[in-house]
Amino acid sequence: MSRIVIFIFSKLGSLLATLVIMSFIIFMLVELMPGDVAQMILGQSATEEAVSALREARGLNEPILKRYALWIKGVVFGDLGESIYMQGVAINSILWRRVGHSLILALTAFLMFVPLSLFFGVLAGVKEHKLSDSIISFFGLATMALPEFVSGVFLISIFALKLKWFPIVSVIPIGESLLSNLNIVLLPAFSITFVMFGYVSRMQRSSMIQVMHSDYIRAATLKGMPRSYVIFRHALKNALLPSITIIGMNMGWLFGGLVVVETLFGFPGMGTLLMSAIKTRDVPLIEACVLLITVIFSLSTVATDLLYSALNPKIRLTGGQR
Amino acid sequence: MSKNILQIEHLNIDFETMDGKFAAVNDVSFNLGYDQSIGIIGESGCGKSTLALALMGYVATNGTIAGKILFKGEDLLTKSDKELVKYRGNRIAMVFQNPESALNPALTIGAQLDEVGLYHQKLAKTEARKASIEALKMLNIGDPHGIVKRYPHQISGGIQQRVSIAMAILCRPDLMILDEPTTALDVTTEAVILDSLNNLREKLKMSLIYISHDMGVINKVSEQIVVMYNGEMVEKGPKHQIFDHPHHPYTRALINCMPRGGVVKEKTALNTIPGYVKRRGVAETGCPFVERCTKWNKTCEGLYGIREVGKDHIAACDRAYASDVPVKDLPLKTPKPKDATESTTDLLKIEELYKIYGKRRKIYAVNGINVSIKSKSVLGIVGESGCGKSTTAHMVSGLYEPTAGKIWFKGTNIAKAWNKRSLEILKEIQLIFQNPGRSLNPSHTVEQIIGRPMQILANVKTRPQRRQAIIKILKRVDLGAEYLSKKPRNLSGGEQQRVAIARALSINPNLVVCDEPTSALDVSVQASVLNLLNTLQSESEASYLFISHDLHVINYISDYIMVMYGGKICEYGKRDEVMEAPYHPYTEALLSAMPEVDPKKAPQAIALKEQLPDPSKKQQGCPFAGRCHKQVGEICAQEYPPLVRHSASHYQYCHIKY
Amino acid sequence: MNTFFYQLKRSPLAILGILIIFIWILIAIFGPSLMYYTHTHIDSEHQMVKPGVNRHLLGTDALGRDLLSRIVYGSRSILTVALLTSIVSTFLGIIFGFTAGYFGGRLDSLFLQTMNILMAIPPLVLSMVVLGILGDSTIFSLTLIVSITFIPATARVSRGVLLTEKNQEYVSAAHIRGESHLYVMFIEILPNTIGPIIVEATARFAYSIMMVASLGFLGVGLQPPTPDWGMMVIENKEIMTQAPWAILFPALAIASLVIAISIFSDFVSKVLIHE
Repeated sequence: MSRIVIFIFSKLGSLLATLVIMSFIIFMLVELMPGDVAQMILGQSATEEAVSALREARGLNEPILKRYALWIKGVVFGDLGESIYMQGVAINSILWRRVGHSLILALTAFLMFVPLSLFFGVLAGVKEHKLSDSIISFFGLATMALPEFVSGVFLISIFALKLKWFPIVSVIPIGESLLSNLNIVLLPAFSITFVMFGYVSRMQRSSMIQVMHSDYIRAATLKGMPRSYVIFRHALKNALLPSITIIGMNMGWLFGGLVVVETLFGFPGMGTLLMSAIKTRDVPLIEACVLLITVIFSLSTVATDLLYSALNPKIRLTGGQR
Repeated sequence: MSKNILQIEHLNIDFETMDGKFAAVNDVSFNLGYDQSIGIIGESGCGKSTLALALMGYVATNGTIAGKILFKGEDLLTKSDKELVKYRGNRIAMVFQNPESALNPALTIGAQLDEVGLYHQKLAKTEARKASIEALKMLNIGDPHGIVKRYPHQISGGIQQRVSIAMAILCRPDLMILDEPTTALDVTTEAVILDSLNNLREKLKMSLIYISHDMGVINKVSEQIVVMYNGEMVEKGPKHQIFDHPHHPYTRALINCMPRGGVVKEKTALNTIPGYVKRRGVAETGCPFVERCTKWNKTCEGLYGIREVGKDHIAACDRAYASDVPVKDLPLKTPKPKDATESTTDLLKIEELYKIYGKRRKIYAVNGINVSIKSKSVLGIVGESGCGKSTTAHMVSGLYEPTAGKIWFKGTNIAKAWNKRSLEILKEIQLIFQNPGRSLNPSHTVEQIIGRPMQILANVKTRPQRRQAIIKILKRVDLGAEYLSKKPRNLSGGEQQRVAIARALSINPNLVVCDEPTSALDVSVQASVLNLLNTLQSESEASYLFISHDLHVINYISDYIMVMYGGKICEYGKRDEVMEAPYHPYTEALLSAMPEVDPKKAPQAIALKEQLPDPSKKQQGCPFAGRCHKQVGEICAQEYPPLVRHSASHYQYCHIKY
Repeated sequence: MNTFFYQLKRSPLAILGILIIFIWILIAIFGPSLMYYTHTHIDSEHQMVKPGVNRHLLGTDALGRDLLSRIVYGSRSILTVALLTSIVSTFLGIIFGFTAGYFGGRLDSLFLQTMNILMAIPPLVLSMVVLGILGDSTIFSLTLIVSITFIPATARVSRGVLLTEKNQEYVSAAHIRGESHLYVMFIEILPNTIGPIIVEATARFAYSIMMVASLGFLGVGLQPPTPDWGMMVIENKEIMTQAPWAILFPALAIASLVIAISIFSDFVSKVLIHE
C-alpha cells in the first residue's frame, strides 16, 4: 500500500517542481518582454510623469525577483493580483467565471471525442483493410488535418448560416448563466472534437491493429476462442491502454484548440480573456491566465499518468511476488 | 474408423510476396496414428511452422492452401472459422515457441486457463478453476493457487511454458502440436518439461507432433521423425532407423552436422552442407536439395519422388546411399593437426572479478572468479542463462566495466571499459557477437565494416591497401570479392557471421572473445562456422574465449572448459577432464540434460528443483546448494565450497570429499 | 527507393496527396507573377464582391482586395515557415534527442525534466503569448518559436530511435574498436534511424502549417502586407454572412494543404517503417 502512496506523492512532487519552475519562466517571459507596460496602457501621447506615476502605482519599479516573490506569495494564498488595464480590478473576480465556462466547453468536447474516437478507432482496427476501415481512416486523416478554426468555419457555414440550428456567435445574454444557454457550447465543442477525433481514432486504430496481429491473440484464436470473444476479452484491454497515454499527450492540443475556438465563436472563456489581455498588455492578467492554464494542463497530464499506471498490470505490480 | 488420427494429403501452401509467389509447403503427405508421436525436424525456411499452423486451419492472409488435412476423417480445410472453433484448443491444441508472447499480458494466468474450460466444456466458474488448478498440478507447477492470480510478466519462462502446456491439455485433446516449445529455455528447464510431456502422453493417451531443429530433443519425445527441407518432406521413419540408416542426403548431412559426444576437433571437422536455402517459386519441381547435394548426378531429376526404403520408412531419395555402403562417413575433412606441445603461458589472467549491478537492490552477475586463459588455446565457458558467462566475456572484451577485480593481459591490468583502454589493447582483444544480423551495421557495406577496424586500429591507411587486405581476409572466411559492396540484409545468417569473423580477425588480435556465435544459426550453418573458427584459431597465434550454453558445441571447440553457475565457477579443466567423472554435481546435471542425437544414448536427465538462484542475494554458500542432487548437508548452503584439485589443470569448488 | 514507387502505384490516395503538394509548391513559386491583381491592391468599388466579378476569380474581401492573389501570395510565406520549422525542429530534435539518449544518466534526466517543463504549457498558448508580447512577427520569430514548441516531440522521436539502436550489437562492436562518440552517433546510428525521423519531420511539416494558420487567426501571425491565411479568416469573420467566400477560400486552402501533407506523411510512414 505504501508503495502506491509513495508513487502518487512522487508524481505530485515533480508536478509541483515543474509548476514552480514554470511560474518563474512565465513571469520572467512576460515581464521581460520588450515594450514598457505603462507606456502602452497610457498611449504614446502620455507624459513622462504620468507614465512613471503609473509604474510607481503598480509597483513596476521594484526589482524583478521581488516582484516575482510577491506574485507567488499572492498566488499561493489565492490572490492573483489586479488587472492593470482595468484599473486595479481584482483578477479573481473576472477570471474564475471564465475558467468555469472554458472547463464546461472542454468537458463537452472531451465527452464527445473520447467515446467516438475510441469506438471508431477500434472498429477500424478490427475491420482492417475492409471498406469501413478505409472510410474511417480517411475521415480521421481529414479531420486531424483541419485546424480548429477551419472546421469551425465549415461548421458555422453549414449549421449556423444555412441550417440556422445554432447561433453564429456564442455569447451569453447579460444576466444569464452559461448553464441556461448550453446550446452555444455545442458548435465550439464540435470543432474541437473534430481534430481530437482524427488524431485519437487513428492512434487507437493502429494500436488495435498491432494488438490483433500479436502472438497472444493468435494463441487465443488457436485455443478455439471465437472472434468476438477474442476481440472483447483479449484485445480490447491491451489496445485501449495506450490510448490513455495518447489522449493525455494531446491535451495540449485540446487547450490550444480551446483558445482558437473561443476566439472564433466569441465564447466567453479563458481563451478570449487571454487574447484580450495580450492585446492590452495587461501583464498580471496574462500571467494569471497562463499560470492557470498551465496548472490545469499539468494536472490533467498527471491524472492520465496515474490512471495509466493503475490500469497497466506491469506497472501496478512491479516488484510483486516472484 | 481409420487407424490414423491425422492424414495429410498433398498439402500445398503458397505465399504472395513483393518478390512473387513462393511455396512454403510443397506437396507434403504423411499420417499420424492414434497415440503416436512424431517429430518434425528441419532448419529455418523448411516450412515446419507453417505446416503446424495449417494443421489448426490457420494460414496467414497472404497465403493460399490446397490439399487435405483429415483429422479423424474430417477435412479441416473445408471448415469455416466458426466450425474450426470446436476443434482448436479442444481436440487439437498447440504450444508455441515463445512462452511470454503467447500469453496475454493484460489477463491473469487463471483467467486464461479458465476460459478454455468455460468455453469448450461449458463448465461453471468454480469447476473451470478446479480443472485449471488440476492441469497446473499435472505439470508439476508448485503453488498453483498462487500462480493463477498472477500476470504473465510475474512468472519465469519455464513456468510460462508449462502454463501454456497446461492450457493445451485442459480439454484432454486428441492431438497436441508443439512448435519448438523449449528452444527459448535453459537445458535443465527443458529437460524437466520434456519429462512432463512424456508423462502426460502416457496418462492422457495423446498424439503428439513435436517440431524442433534439435534432433536430440525430438529423440526424447517422439518415435517417428519427419525430415523437412525447403517446404518438402524428404524422409520419414522410426528414429533409430533414421539415425542408423539415413537415406536422403540431407538427412545424413543434417545428422552429421550436429556436434556430439565423441566428436572432437583433433580428429575430425564437422560435416557441413555447402550453399544455403533459397525460397522456391511455385512453379519449380524436382528435388529441392539438388544444388547443395554432394551426391548429385544427371539421373537425379528423373528418379525424384517419395518411395519406401524400409519398414515404415519412406524417403524422397535412396540413390545416394544404397544399403550396402557403409553409413556415417563422418570425417570428410581433417583440419591441420595442432602443435603437440601444450602451452604453459597465460595470455590472460582474471583475478577476483566481480560485476554487481544496482545500488539498493543489487544483482550479483559475476560474484568473484579467478581463471586464466592459456596462450594459443580455446577456453570454453558453459552455463545456463544468468550464470554470468556473458557478463564475464563482456568484461574481458571491454564492453562493461568490472565492479572489482583485475584482468591481467600482457603485463597490464585491463579491468576497465573500452573507453579507458588504450588503442593497442583494443586491437589485441576482439569480440564476435551472438546475433550476426545485429552485430553488423545494416547501413554499411561489407567493405566498410571490415575496413574500419583496419583503418583505425591497424593503421592501414589508404583505401586500395585496405581493399586488398579485405579481399584476402574474405577469402580466408570463404567469401569472394563480390561481397565487398553487399549490405548485411542481403546476406544469409552464415554469411553475416563470416563477415563478423573477418572483421574481428582482420587486425590479428591475440584474444578473440566469441559470445555464443552460433546460437542463432541453423545447425548446418553452425557446423561450418565452428569449422571455420577452429581452422582460423589453429592457424594463428591467438587464443579464443568461447561462450555457449550448448555443451556439445563447447565439447567440440574447446581445449579447456569452465562451467559457471550463479556468478561463480563450478569446475575448470581440460576438455576431457571436465567431460568425464569425477563431475561437479552441476556439470553432471548439465550433461545428463543435454539431448543426444543418437537415440540409443538416452541419458536419464537428473531432475533439478526449479529454484533458480536469486541473483539479488549475495550467496553465503554454494550457489547450487538449493538444487543440488548430491548435497552434503547444511554446509553447502552456509559455507562457500573449497577448491578441490583433481589434477594440475582440473579443479572444482565443492564440499563433496573425493 | 524501389519500395517507394511500388507502394505508390498501389495507393491512389498518396498519388493525389503528392500531386496537391506539388501544385501548391508551383503556386508558391510561380503564382504571384501570374496574378492579375497584387495582394495589396485595393479595388474600392468592388468590396466584398462575389467570385467572378471584375476579374476577381475568387471574389474580394472587406477592403476590396483580390482573394485569389492574397491566397497565392500567402502560400509562399506559409510554406516557407512550415518548411523551415520542420527542418529546424527536426535538426534540433536530433541534437538533443541523440545526446540525451546516447549518454543517458544525468544528461538524460536533465533532458527529460526540461522537456516536461516545456510541455507544461500548451504549445499554442506559449507561442501566442510570446509572439503577442513581442509584437510584429517575422518569418524568423515564427519559425523560432514554433520550432521550440515542437522540440519535445521531435526530440522524443529521435531519442526513442536512438535508444533502440544503442543496444544493438553493432554499436558495441564500434565501441570496442575505440570509435569516438560522435562517430558512433552520426555515422553508425543515424543512418539506421533516418526512417522514423523523416516520418516525424513530414508530420511536423503538417503541424506547422496548422500552427502558423492558427497563430495568424489569433492575430499574432505574419503582419500585413504579407497575407496570412489564418489572419484572412479572422479579418473577414464579421462579414461572414455577406461574403462567406472571404473565409471559405482561405479555409479550403489551409485544409487542402494540410490534408495532402498528412496523406503524404502517412504514406512515407508506411514505406519507411513497414519495410
